[in-house]
Amino acid sequence: MIRGRRTPRLYIRIGCLVLAVLLVCPIPLWVYHSKILAQTSPFVFICTLLAGVSLGAGAIIGLAVSIIAMFRKRWFCHFICPAGLILEGASYIGLGKTSWWKGCPSIGKYILLITVAGSVAGYPLLLWMDPLVFFTSVFSAFSSDNLLRGILAAAGIILLLITALTSGSLWCARICPLGATQDYLAGIGSLYNKNKTTEITKNSSEKAGVKDTLPVTRRTVLSLASGAALGLWVKKVGRVKAESGLLRPPGAIEENVFTGQCVRCGNCMRACPSKIIQPDIGAAGISGFMAPAVGFKSGYCLEHCNECTKVCPSGAIQKLDLDKKQKYVIGEAVLNASLCYMVRGVNDCDICVRSCPFEAVQVYWDEESYVAFPFVDKLKCNGCGACERFCPTGNVKAITVKRTESIKI
Amino acid sequence: MAKKISRREMMRSVAAGGLVLAGSMTPLNSLLAAEPGPMAKRGPQPPGPVIPRHPAILSDGKVIQPRRELAILHRTDVLVVGGGPAGTAAALAARRLNVDVTLVERYGYFGGLATGGLVLAIFPLYDRNNRQVIRGIGEEMMKRLDALKFGIIERNKAPVYPTIDPEAFKYVLVEMVLESKLDAFLDCWGVDAIIDPKGAVKGAVFESKSGRQAILADVVIDATGDGDIYAAAGAAFEKIKDTIGLVSRMGNVTVQDMLDEHMKNAIGPRNKADKGMPARGMPVTALEGHVGSPTPAPGVNWINMKGPVGDGLDVAELSRLELLHRAALWKNLRNARKKKGAENAFILETAPQMGVRLTRLLKGVKSLSTAEMKAGAKFRDVIGYCGTYANAPEFEIPYSCLIPDKLDNILAAGRCISAEFRVADTLRLIPVCWVTGQAAGVAAALSVKQKCLPRDLNITGLQNQLRQQGAFLG
Repeated sequence: MIRGRRTPRLYIRIGCLVLAVLLVCPIPLWVYHSKILAQTSPFVFICTLLAGVSLGAGAIIGLAVSIIAMFRKRWFCHFICPAGLILEGASYIGLGKTSWWKGCPSIGKYILLITVAGSVAGYPLLLWMDPLVFFTSVFSAFSSDNLLRGILAAAGIILLLITALTSGSLWCARICPLGATQDYLAGIGSLYNKNKTTEITKNSSEKAGVKDTLPVTRRTVLSLASGAALGLWVKKVGRVKAESGLLRPPGAIEENVFTGQCVRCGNCMRACPSKIIQPDIGAAGISGFMAPAVGFKSGYCLEHCNECTKVCPSGAIQKLDLDKKQKYVIGEAVLNASLCYMVRGVNDCDICVRSCPFEAVQVYWDEESYVAFPFVDKLKCNGCGACERFCPTGNVKAITVKRTESIKI
Repeated sequence: MAKKISRREMMRSVAAGGLVLAGSMTPLNSLLAAEPGPMAKRGPQPPGPVIPRHPAILSDGKVIQPRRELAILHRTDVLVVGGGPAGTAAALAARRLNVDVTLVERYGYFGGLATGGLVLAIFPLYDRNNRQVIRGIGEEMMKRLDALKFGIIERNKAPVYPTIDPEAFKYVLVEMVLESKLDAFLDCWGVDAIIDPKGAVKGAVFESKSGRQAILADVVIDATGDGDIYAAAGAAFEKIKDTIGLVSRMGNVTVQDMLDEHMKNAIGPRNKADKGMPARGMPVTALEGHVGSPTPAPGVNWINMKGPVGDGLDVAELSRLELLHRAALWKNLRNARKKKGAENAFILETAPQMGVRLTRLLKGVKSLSTAEMKAGAKFRDVIGYCGTYANAPEFEIPYSCLIPDKLDNILAAGRCISAEFRVADTLRLIPVCWVTGQAAGVAAALSVKQKCLPRDLNITGLQNQLRQQGAFLG
């Protein structure tokens, strides 16, 4: 590339990096905008669209970037992608610019194809591999409640950095599904502008190393078929996992597709003022690894808050206004009477009754056994966890929120 | 009788005698060596002055109480009706400003529900950072309990709340009342307000063994818990029904309901209990029998009872509930004895007073709202704090919650002050009653001294005085 063009482009890229950091930084006033970064990704946009999940107004950004990508090949990589700039920087100081992979085919293409096919089946399999998501999730490392989760949150970008240090631009050129998406989009664009294709291909085809046409090879068909099959299978298995007792944040879509639609960006975790959303490590199996789960150790789902529903870039958590969020059933409070202080007549306890924001927990007096106990009105309880949070019985709570069969919005 | 020796002098001599008895170090010899004073004669007494009788008259099927003049038992600057946590704190606080204070109590001891009601848990004391936000006279009381063996446990272990021994607390209050040299009347039930032609409160009427008598005062503090005096004087109030239980203490038990060990044992059958739990009705474990939670006295537990919702102002309902509660306590004892560590348990005490939670809430100059409680509201006329409890943070209590909307010369203290039900549900707790009691006491004494109405009192002066008395105002 010519040096004269390169310097202003570098400034733009650095500007985009700073902007991206500002967008994702957990600044309370700004949290709402953290989803914008991941929503610029055409990969996330297209797969979400195919999965039939609503993105709301955020779809406009993805659509715009996708359209530009059709006519300006890998334009996003060259000007905007903050992860790309970091990786490029790392590869400059790299341990050795090995290019052993030059002869390899693009893996990103197959990642894209599998995910696209999965999306059509309703389960975008590898949506979490978007580099913007890796970039975003680093910021959750600071707000995680334990070290392991913090390290895992940053693991994505750390792996990319190691790749960049050891193998140069392997990620960007061969693996990145976001890059592959742009290649395909440019391919589609070139179909419409056959006359102009020559110019565009000249500029970028060497670097990307992919043909601009849309070849329907055996590998393509195979990855599409396996993606669709895998998507359908995980979707079915995920339904069984719904009984694992795991609670999802308010606004979360059906459990069996949630784990696929969620990109693990950590936005919801950082947005939560109570810090009750933490990545799940293990409870929902591999498909749900690192997806947000709700636990009430540090707080409860505040009645006047819907922050987490505003920040999801992939629509795994749908935007809910306050009224709808209050009606969204996260779970249902269940009493274990054998532990309950009120039942046992300890300290005149009625903390669950007092703490319930919806007056769903009431004191019920049983004349026959001459005992009072908290009774949960299932129609009023949305599983906000205030009762569990404040229940004073120690590590084992007498009242806990359990997952319910149906999730209503 | 009242003419020969003034009440004041009598109370002082009682106080002196009490102190002598209290100091068990006094050698018996010195008592015997002292010149015996004039003693009342045993046996038949000479006839006293003729007291005019005015019995109620049954006429045309109606019972008519004839109009009559009441004997004035006493005149005082500040009259505190009710000797519970709020009343004692109010009386002691007012007395420290060197005004004449009279404290009247319905039972034969002080402490109200904290002693006679066996409400032994002292909460909420702390804020979210485990800082104690309820201090002042309440803290002084707890310090005195600290000095007594088996007086109080779990002190200064926030967020765990202390538990007190009711008898130790009764003693501490006797000691403080005697030391403060205020005039106290026990076994004396405040039944009516005395109002002047303008409608301002000028005292209260009492029933006791001496009949119906009046006490006149410049300012009255209604610490009855039920707001009996302000309601009688015509102040607006909100009627509340809440759960009414009966607390008891069980002796000779070595097992508790809240120990971790119990929790561990309970985890085993946990899932079974969940499944066995009916959608509505009796929980499975209710049949086990309760052994309660520890008190400072070794081998003694206290067992709370929530009770059904009832009208705490309806004597028929109160009687019915008390009978049922007392029967149920023995049923529970039989079940509890099946537990290991409680085989030889016995009921040490059933509370003399039923656990009436809320009955009347004053319609005051300001009513504390639930939203203000949940937001941890702050007020310009703050007189104290209520600690954090459940999901409500610590919040300030304004002076205007103690002042009736229209009625003058009377302040409310304790659980019957002006607040919405859900706030009052927290304000009714023992240490919060200390806070509102102390504030009402200081405010009443200051308005006597400054010869102004309690509602016209200078807030800064009141707050300064409260701070001098050790109260926490933020």
